[in-house]
Amino acid sequence: MSEEKTTHFGYKTVAAEQKQAMVADVFHSVAAKYDLMNDLMSFGVHRLWKRFTIDMSGVRPGDSVLDLAGGTGDLTKKFSKVVGPKGRVVLADINSSMLNVGRDRLTDQGYVGNIEYVQANAECLPFEDNSFDVITMAFGLRNVTDKDAALRSMARVLKPGGRLLVLEFSKPTNPLMSKAYDIYSFTALPFMGKLVTNDADSYQYLAESIRMHPDQETLKGMMEDAGLVRCSYHNLTSGVVALHRGVKP
Amino acid sequence: MDKQLLSMLVCPLCQGKLKYDQEQQELLCTFDGLAFPIRDGVPVMLEGEARRMSEEEKLDKAQA
Repeated sequence: MSEEKTTHFGYKTVAAEQKQAMVADVFHSVAAKYDLMNDLMSFGVHRLWKRFTIDMSGVRPGDSVLDLAGGTGDLTKKFSKVVGPKGRVVLADINSSMLNVGRDRLTDQGYVGNIEYVQANAECLPFEDNSFDVITMAFGLRNVTDKDAALRSMARVLKPGGRLLVLEFSKPTNPLMSKAYDIYSFTALPFMGKLVTNDADSYQYLAESIRMHPDQETLKGMMEDAGLVRCSYHNLTSGVVALHRGVKP
Repeated sequence: MDKQLLSMLVCPLCQGKLKYDQEQQELLCTFDGLAFPIRDGVPVMLEGEARRMSEEEKLDKAQA
């Protein structure tokens, strides 16, 4: 029996091998306006979510950090300052448009010396085992086709004692918030997307893909299955976003 | 390409060591027969973007 493998692209069911290309189109389309859209959509709160992620990472001077699906480089910028000249930050993204925007922006702002750029797929990372003290993936896991493979790959390249932090949309914990959030994301988001990037479809995908993403407890279980220990999560903004953290034993 | 970065990278499929072809700006995995391009100094470590090496090239590069 051979059944074709399928996965979700927002609410649509697509062949597993198609998803990567469809997600790529979304990000090629929105890369130039990505930062502006994040500020508009989250009322600037994404900056606080990211700052909290850095705090929870326990990053120290001299550390090796992998900022996965790091896109336009928000986290990389902050990590670069903390790890200093003896440390290193690798900004990796599967999407060349996002990576180019990130590299140009960081270089223009003078962030050079301890940052490297790699185009890579989270499901099969091109790094040696036990390479990183910290791995972050902010708003990226949702778009990965095989999330279990990605988590295993991240666990492999973490050093023993290294921390994985996954910042991702999650399930609102408060029913009122959940309702408001539904209305907001299925009407306001595609509308803003249309206005700013002239691409409503990509932001319709965003709203749908958030609903399809595993909830807090499910993702925690997936991280444990990938071999990480002391897995826990923090709900941010009533669970609109959750920060998951796990440690490589 | 940056030496430090080069020393960290392995083949995304077999996690084997890569050979750096400076002239062609490629990273070669002779085991999988894949040549990963380096574009504007950024290694593109995706199987779908890699050039497939011929059998002769694989043997040739493996010995080099």
